[in-house]
Formats: sequence, structure tokens, C-alpha cells
Amino acid sequence: MNKIKVLLIEDDRSISNFITATMDREGYKIMHALNGREGLSLSTSFCPNVILLDLGLPDMDGLDVLQKLRSWSDVPVIIISARTKEQEKVSALDLGADDYITKPFGTGELMARIRTSLRHSHAQTPGHVYKTLDLEIDFEKRLIRLRGEEVHLTQIEYQLLTLLAENSGRVLTYSYIMNAIWGPYMDNNNQILRVNMANIRRKLEQNPAQPQYVFTEIGVGYRMRENENGAIPAERF
Amino acid sequence: MFRSLSVKKSPRKSFRLKPPFTRHAISILICAACMLCATLASFLYQHIVPDNHANVALFYILALVIIARWTVGYSYGIACTLFSVIAINYLFTYPYYKINFTLTGYPITFLLMSGITLILCTMTSHMTIQSEMIAEREKRLAEAEMEKMRANLLRAISHDLRTPLTGIIGNSSLFLESQNDLSSTEQRTIMTNIYEDSNWLLNMVENLLSVTRIQGDSLSINTTEEPVEEVVGEALEKLEKRYPDAAIRVKIPEEFLMIPMDAVLIEQVTINLLENAIVHSGSILPIDFIVEDHPEHVSFIVRDYGKGLSEEKLQNLFETSTYNNSQSSDSRKGMGIGLSICKTIITAHHGTLSGRNHADGAEFCFTLPKVGAVASEK
Repeated sequence: MNKIKVLLIEDDRSISNFITATMDREGYKIMHALNGREGLSLSTSFCPNVILLDLGLPDMDGLDVLQKLRSWSDVPVIIISARTKEQEKVSALDLGADDYITKPFGTGELMARIRTSLRHSHAQTPGHVYKTLDLEIDFEKRLIRLRGEEVHLTQIEYQLLTLLAENSGRVLTYSYIMNAIWGPYMDNNNQILRVNMANIRRKLEQNPAQPQYVFTEIGVGYRMRENENGAIPAERF
Repeated sequence: MFRSLSVKKSPRKSFRLKPPFTRHAISILICAACMLCATLASFLYQHIVPDNHANVALFYILALVIIARWTVGYSYGIACTLFSVIAINYLFTYPYYKINFTLTGYPITFLLMSGITLILCTMTSHMTIQSEMIAEREKRLAEAEMEKMRANLLRAISHDLRTPLTGIIGNSSLFLESQNDLSSTEQRTIMTNIYEDSNWLLNMVENLLSVTRIQGDSLSINTTEEPVEEVVGEALEKLEKRYPDAAIRVKIPEEFLMIPMDAVLIEQVTINLLENAIVHSGSILPIDFIVEDHPEHVSFIVRDYGKGLSEEKLQNLFETSTYNNSQSSDSRKGMGIGLSICKTIITAHHGTLSGRNHADGAEFCFTLPKVGAVASEK
């Protein structure tokens, strides 16, 4: 059976060592590039299913690598970054990264992110059901059930929630969500988004300060809990 | 000279000081208005009480005082003095509407008025310069204070970083040198120690990073309106990853609250306080985290049900300097630094942070103003 191919672009030996070892054990085929140029050329010859990209590379900026890559490829890219400024995360996501993971991270977290982005690159046809914990969203019937009972959302709230559910497990930036729901001519004040999210939270979560379904990434955006229906083991691909 | 220097030194100041062009325009306006008022008042006075020139001169002197106080430099005052002297001569002394410098006592009026104005201008210029100097000195004092705090923090931290680093180096070299002689339990203990020490280091680094978000000398931060529940939610989520077994009861107001803050910093404060309660309370009873909405501010309370704070600890809760004494290496390592960072963050938000004992444990409370102080910072 074909193994899933992962390309790691990272210059630090210690970090690449433990990632390579983990990926090997998990049954992935992993290729390792030490700098941006090597990474770009490997991404054409090796045809990875997912790329792990470090932002601080010796020869070029990770964001430039991402931009070049995106000019011809849609392969999922997960950013590995030591940078903690929210603005940098936002620009990486807006440049087309699928996800980011901040150093330091555990192997469990890394594997979960890889599985999420692989799933999104094999996007299932819409019309399926999103299900996690006690929440169920039926996209076809436009129905939301919480513990079996129907939840009533406004039009905007429904659009917001389904947008997040369709991308469950991934961070969607404020600007991405604003653009998708309110269109490009909305001013960049995201207060309206915050208020709508607060309303959704009050309808779905038992305690708005301890959310189970929609999580906040301060200064970046929102992330919805993984769809349990879509949890396909890695060997499927 | 002084002014231009201070503007160059701190760009913030230029917001307060208007550009020279505007200042001169304002000065000219003030001069014109004062002279006009004095002239009109004098006319009115002359009309009601004729032949009393002394008071006319007083009207002009009053106007000159105002001009000296509120205009920049000497030139405006002197120009207005000239104008006043000529106006009095031309408009209000016999012969009316004629310039006549041979009038009895006139040179004396002229000299006295010029003298008064000159002295006034000098005095007020001094006053302005002095108040600027005082402001500058206060700023420098605040900078020095901040610098001292940084130095203290750095010293305390470097001290504290050594302990876990020693643990990591020692344990890993032990493992490398004698792996074969160690039982698997021993190997596991060594690895667990390394793991725990590195996590402690990471925690410390997160705290230090958060301090770098506070901009140096002026303790200023970038605040945006953030929903309280989102900030609290993310803090709890991060904490849960680190302490999966910790029990925290959260109570926040039902209404949607948005307050100005640097969300990353407030998240850090929340994490630090809750972590203190988890690690140092010596109890596994659930910790209460309560957010209360008040008219002017929002308060965040962390209440644990453990052994409480010692008398000694209560004395200087938020000071890094306590780290110089023998307590530094006990089990409460890192607590002082975490708390002093919290204090710095909350102070930068114009809020308050306090800690005290309640009947069955310790309680920390921080408040953030809803509007006003923080908003006007921008």
C-alpha cells in the first residue's frame, strides 16, 4: 500500500530528528529538506501529500517559500513556527497555509494537525453530516441538533457555524470569515463577527468560557472541534 | 533648542506638543483677540467715564499679561506692547486720533509698559521651560524605575533558569553515560525529570516573551476591544493541556462583555494566576475562577481552597526582589516572577492586582477598566 508522503522543511537537526522518528513510527514516508531552496525542489520531485514548513529558514523566509509553493500547488502546508506574534500567524494563513503549529509542540498535536489537513485535501462532497460530542449539523437539511434537540440559529449564525464546521479542525482567520460571510466590502472591524460568535456560543455551549465546540485563537480567528464523522485513519489514503 | 531636542528623543511627546506652525498661528490669534478686547473695553470705558486714562492703560496691561502667559517667546508680547502704547496715544489721549509723543509723562508710560511686558514674558517662558523640564525628569525617573525592574527580573530569572537547566544537563548526561546500567524504571524517571524541567523552562520563556510585548519606557500596550469569554476560554484551554487533571469552576456573567485589552497578555495573567493556584495551593479541591461585571471595571477572581499565603509571602507578593533571599530555591520557584509579571501587565492596563487570604485559602483578584484610562492611551 502507498504510504502518505510528508515533506519536512526545517533547518534544526534536533527538531527534524524527532519529527522524522515519529513520522516513521506512524507509518508515513518522510523526506527532509534543510533549507527553502531544497524544500521547493523536493516538493516538485517528491510530490508530498503534506508539507511541514518552518518559517525561520537559513536561505529564505518561510513565507516566501509558502508563496512560491502556492503559485503552482494546493498541497496542504502546515507551518511550524517559533514566532509568537499573531500577525505572523494570520499572514501565513492568509497566504494559503492550511494550519500552523507553534514551537514547542508535542508529537500528538503534530500528528492530529497532519491528519486534519490530509482530510481537508481529500474534501468529501458536501451534504454529509458534521458530528462531534453532542452536536450534529445536517448540511442538507440545514438542521442543527444539540443533544438531539433542534437549535435555532439566525441566517448569519448558521452560515458562520457551517463555515467553521466544513473546515473543522482548522483555524479560520477573522478576515477570511468576514470575507466569506459578509463579503469583501465590509470594513475590517470584526466586532460584528465577535458578537455573532458570542450568540452562537450561548446557544451551543454550556459555559461560554469553557467552549466545547468553537475555540478561539486570540488575535487570529476561530477553530471548530474536529468532525468525528470524518475521522479516517491514516492508512486509508 | 530644548524643545526640539525633547521632540526628537521621544516621538510620543510630539503628539502633545503641537507643531510650531500651529503654535504660532494660535499665538497670533490670541494677540489679536486680546488687543481687540482691550481696545473695545477701553472705548466703552472712555464712553462711560471720560478723561480717565490711567484705567485705559490698565486694560491694556491686563491684555498683555494674558498674551505673555499664552503665547510662545517674547516677540508677540513686545509687538503687542508697541501696539498698546501707540493705541493709547492715538485713541485715548488728547489730542484724539493723532500720534503725539510729547505728551506729559508719556515716555514713562511707554517705558513702564514695555518693562512689565518684558519681565512677564521672561517669567512665563521660564515657567513653560521649567514645567517641560519637570515632565522630562519625571519621565526619566519612570524609565529608571522600569530599567531597575527589568534588571531585577533578569537577575531573578537567570537565577531560576539555572536550576532546571542543571537538572536537564545532569539527567541527560547520566542517561548518555550509563544507559546500560540503568533499570527501565530509572531511565523513565530520568526522562520524566527532563520533560518536567523543560516544561517549566518553557513556561518561564512564555512569561518573558509576554513582557516584551509591553513597550519599554512608557509601559504602553496595544489594546483592542476583546470579548472576555474568548480570552478566558483560550486561557482555560491552554491550561487544560498542561494540567489535564486540574479542576476549575468557571463563572462568568451571562451578558456579552467586550473590554479594551491586550488579549495575549491578559491570557498570560489568567494562566499564571490559575497555575499558581493549581501548583502552590497544596490542594486538589476545585479552584474558582469568577468574572464579575462592575459599572466601571471587570474583575477576575482566582480563589483556591488550599493552605493560603504565608505572612512573609503576603508582605511582598509582587516583588521579584524576594528572590534574593533563601526562599528562592524552595518549591515555590517561579511564583514570584509570574506574579511580578502579572503586576506589570495589569499596571500597564491601568487595572489593579491584589492577593489575600480568605477563610480557606488564597485569593487573587485583578481588575480591568472598561473604558477611559486604557482607551485614552491611544
